Amino acid sequence: MPTSLFQLSRKKFMRAPQLEAKLAIKILMGFVVLYFGGSLLFAGIAVYPFLSDLLPERDAISVINSVLVLIFILELIIRYFLQQLPVTEIKSFLLLSIPKKRIIRNVLFRSLLSVYNAIPVLFYLPISISMFQDDYALGQVIAWWVAVTAFSLCLNFISFLANKNNKALAGFVILIILLYLSESYMDFETLRAVGYFFDALIMQPLWVLVPLGVFVLLYQITFSFLKKNLNLEGSLAAKKEVANAGRYDFLDVFGSHAFFLKNDLRLIVRNVRPKNIVLMSFLFLFYGLFFFTQDNQPESLLVFASIFISGGFLLTYGNYVPAWDSEYYAFLMTQNLSYKKYLDSKWRLMTFAVIVSTVLSLPYLYFGVKTYLMILSGAAFNIGLGTWITLYGGLLNKQPLKLNVKAKAFENTQAFSGKLMLMIFPKMVLPVLLYIIPATLFNPTAGYITLAASGVLGIVFKNQILTQMVKLFAKQKHEMLQAFTQK
Amino acid sequence: MITVNSLTKSYGEITVLNIDQLEIPKGQCFGLVGNNGAGKTTFFSLLLDLIKTSTGEIISNDIAVAQSEEWKSFTSAFIDDSFLIGYLTPEEYFYFVGELRGIDKAAVDLFLETYVDFFNDEILNQKKYLRDFSKGNQKKVGLIATFIGSPKVVILDEPFANLDPTTQIRLKQLIKAETEKRELTLLISSHDLNHVTDVCNRIVLLERGAVIMDKETTAKTLQELEDYFSA
Repeated sequence: MPTSLFQLSRKKFMRAPQLEAKLAIKILMGFVVLYFGGSLLFAGIAVYPFLSDLLPERDAISVINSVLVLIFILELIIRYFLQQLPVTEIKSFLLLSIPKKRIIRNVLFRSLLSVYNAIPVLFYLPISISMFQDDYALGQVIAWWVAVTAFSLCLNFISFLANKNNKALAGFVILIILLYLSESYMDFETLRAVGYFFDALIMQPLWVLVPLGVFVLLYQITFSFLKKNLNLEGSLAAKKEVANAGRYDFLDVFGSHAFFLKNDLRLIVRNVRPKNIVLMSFLFLFYGLFFFTQDNQPESLLVFASIFISGGFLLTYGNYVPAWDSEYYAFLMTQNLSYKKYLDSKWRLMTFAVIVSTVLSLPYLYFGVKTYLMILSGAAFNIGLGTWITLYGGLLNKQPLKLNVKAKAFENTQAFSGKLMLMIFPKMVLPVLLYIIPATLFNPTAGYITLAASGVLGIVFKNQILTQMVKLFAKQKHEMLQAFTQK
Repeated sequence: MITVNSLTKSYGEITVLNIDQLEIPKGQCFGLVGNNGAGKTTFFSLLLDLIKTSTGEIISNDIAVAQSEEWKSFTSAFIDDSFLIGYLTPEEYFYFVGELRGIDKAAVDLFLETYVDFFNDEILNQKKYLRDFSKGNQKKVGLIATFIGSPKVVILDEPFANLDPTTQIRLKQLIKAETEKRELTLLISSHDLNHVTDVCNRIVLLERGAVIMDKETTAKTLQELEDYFSA
């Protein structure tokens, strides 16, 4: 493998702005990885003996085989949302005399080094060892492990393709839904077939060639996909789009802040990246369906759902709030625009989004007035405090954002990342605490009243909070300007 | 209008700018020349509080720029293309700037009418976003936007670079007209000695962060500068 390309990615990390913060996050992530890795290892060691005891009449490995497909789907979802792809500064290499193949091999090889590919070792290897101790032949055990590992690594490439290519993503989602439907409504044993395949594999280890073949095929597909896209936007001719003339006059009701809102709306509508992210925030509206449709849910989970329903925009768009303006940050910082007015307009934007989400969630009245009151108290929290926590997190995030990313294959287009998840944490825990403490001390109603009251307090003391935010903002200004000019 | 007191900017051991004392009076057209790395953009960035000073201070119209943000109400600048908002059309960008400086749409339209020649039919009503314009046309938009709302101080970093010859000449006429029309303190940096001596009534030459020469522009100034740079 070309070591010089590796060195470049190392330097990119070491010389990044905010190295300390990044290191702290890496260390924290390290603990998270250790925890999940340990759990996986434990599960891998325990699952086989446990199943043998629980279902003595069946083969433990056959039971495992029958749920493998679910594990694979879960793994794919986790990988899709959380796995960061190695993004090399490919553009700058294109003109150098490094063979394209070498650049692509480097990207693909580094994607195999991801921590998520430790799953086969941590989870499946202990199972294989248990199999061996349970008198399976070495050949059978090795074939089983190689096959499972090959599938797991296939998921690596599938998530890679799905991340880079929306059509591929749609294809995979439709495929999984079709398989599920055929399984549950039409008596086809499509999903279960995976289990049968692994059963057959233990009988005839030569079947291992199939997953290996699939792995090689997916490697080739990914390789040629990258090769095809490894140029600047296919052709160098710039594509001109006709400007849309949206004037958004309906926003004039917001008075002197209207033109800011209009500008933010234009930012969202006219740029690839924010547009995708905001579309995703609509999905949060449906979050409640998972919870409110089931009986006997613990109330603290319902609080979670209520926060999500009205706060989707905060979680997706809001987290990057000053960073969306990073391309022209120096301009904003020299215009006749006080920090206070700038932050206030961002607060209004987020409040506006929460209100829109709350109105759009009116259909939840179907589940009863109580459910909707829950959503309303969550919305109050989101407006009064959630917005400020989001802004605070956004001010600490000093990654510049490219708004209209076109060279898609080489940009990180994922909306979620592990780091972001860490920043979301306080936003999720605080409302649950605000609810749980009074709810356990008195009753659930007291919980909801406290939650809503915390939001109202936030609105009452808005000016005081804003003043504090302005101080923080002014303190961060130069650091942010410097970070945002780093490309 | 602008007073600079014992200003330095260093990165670690290296001092990139060191100006002991500089006074720019109201209404002056101030030209800054010097080779790459002389500290021109650093000086402008300090003036706009985009970077922190290491020592010293800059006072603009009695306001210390690093302490208060009041200077923003009478200052405007165009440093590079990070001063443009790529996803807006030129009109929307002008309205946005106008709104920030308290000028309404109708007044902005009226203002733009006076620059029709400068735009040369390439800017307005193009139904294109700024990010899709050529570098030169983007610059025209950025330059004109700095004059919206009649700011007292205008700072332009290399305004002539990237412009076609016709536009360069029109920009010179425009600058002369603006400075004659009202009491405008204009700060320009440029590599084009010809243009800068033509429009500015004072030239300051920077080298490695220090002021080497500071003169009122006369007929001889261009020759002196050429001699300096060819030596």
